[in-house]
Amino acid sequence: MIVIDSASPIPPFEQLRGQLARQIQDHTLAVGTRLPTIRRLAADLGLAANTVGRAYRELEEAGLIETRGAAGSFVSAAGEQGRERARHAAAEYAAVIASVGIDTNEAIRIVQAALAKGIAVSPSS
Amino acid sequence: MPNEMLPEVDPSVRPADLEQAGVWLAGHGLTDVRPTPLLATRLAARRRRRLAAAVLLAAFIIAVALTYISAMGEGSGSSRRWSLLVLTAVVVGLVLGQSLLDLWVRRVDRRAGAMLPRRAAHPVRLGWRTVLGWPRAAFAVTTFAGAMVLAIGVLTMQDSTARYAAVVLLIGLCGVAVVMVVQLRHVLTHPVVADDEVSLTADVIMRVEDARDVTVPTVVWSLPVTSVFSTAFGWWNVAWLVFIVLSVIALALIDARTARSGTVARHVTSAR
Repeated sequence: MIVIDSASPIPPFEQLRGQLARQIQDHTLAVGTRLPTIRRLAADLGLAANTVGRAYRELEEAGLIETRGAAGSFVSAAGEQGRERARHAAAEYAAVIASVGIDTNEAIRIVQAALAKGIAVSPSS
Repeated sequence: MPNEMLPEVDPSVRPADLEQAGVWLAGHGLTDVRPTPLLATRLAARRRRRLAAAVLLAAFIIAVALTYISAMGEGSGSSRRWSLLVLTAVVVGLVLGQSLLDLWVRRVDRRAGAMLPRRAAHPVRLGWRTVLGWPRAAFAVTTFAGAMVLAIGVLTMQDSTARYAAVVLLIGLCGVAVVMVVQLRHVLTHPVVADDEVSLTADVIMRVEDARDVTVPTVVWSLPVTSVFSTAFGWWNVAWLVFIVLSVIALALIDARTARSGTVARHVTSAR
């Protein structure tokens, strides 16, 4: 279920993008699932088509969904690939940490700082 | 539901509508849910639409009978051509009338939705397979195909009166088929109006019930009585009665073996 709260300080497109991204990442929406059309979802949620279009565009840029022409928008397998890349990068990072002798708490702080920096520069946040 | 249990309501919602919404919720296994003005408004609009649609279809059957009888007395080719033209106009009027009723329901829904501070929707498209289901879709198509084949069978007869009656039946069947398609399209495409999981479940229940209601072929069963029945040979009337009995049995079996609308809706909402 997607809920858009008009009283929320978060813009509607971000509410929509965030909820869809979360449901794709936790597999509530499986790979290959067909999403409603932009017009249809806009009518269902009482939003402008541009707002839904912007959320879909950002999800597409993040590799979470793909648009196959007139067939519509589908949950992309690329989201799963992205997760796999992240796991691979984490394993490499863990190996570097072990080789240079940094303790676990500091390694986590380094990651948290990097993530905070990444979120701060991310255009969709 | 007793009045003291009813919530604070929008003054435009009648207490009777709210009570009926409570009964409707209980009938669909949502006994712990309080009826809201949104649900009461939407259900009341659907009840009125259903009544008006039934009246419209009854008027259509009467119009088919009158058109058929009006040309039977004179029996000339030109009067029959005119009556077929009138019948075509009646079919167009029926489709238009049903479309206007659907538009009215859509407007009521839009107004109700505009007053909600939150809106909820499914992240996945609800297709006809979910809302109507394969068995009912196949049943509707088969029923129409069977009725068309039987009507075309009368066209092969030598008797011009029987052939005329068959043309009247075919035009009527085409009209009913178009109305069914228009109504199903409305059921499948009109926007969701919900603000939480319960109202989303209620929305799906309404869709499933509307779709099931639209595909019950009562008009198909009754149309030949106003045309072909009086002119066709005995074998045709027997074939039609067998057709009705078989389709009633098929519908009863489908009803018994498919999930209830509330179960379908809960499954859809909880899965997404």
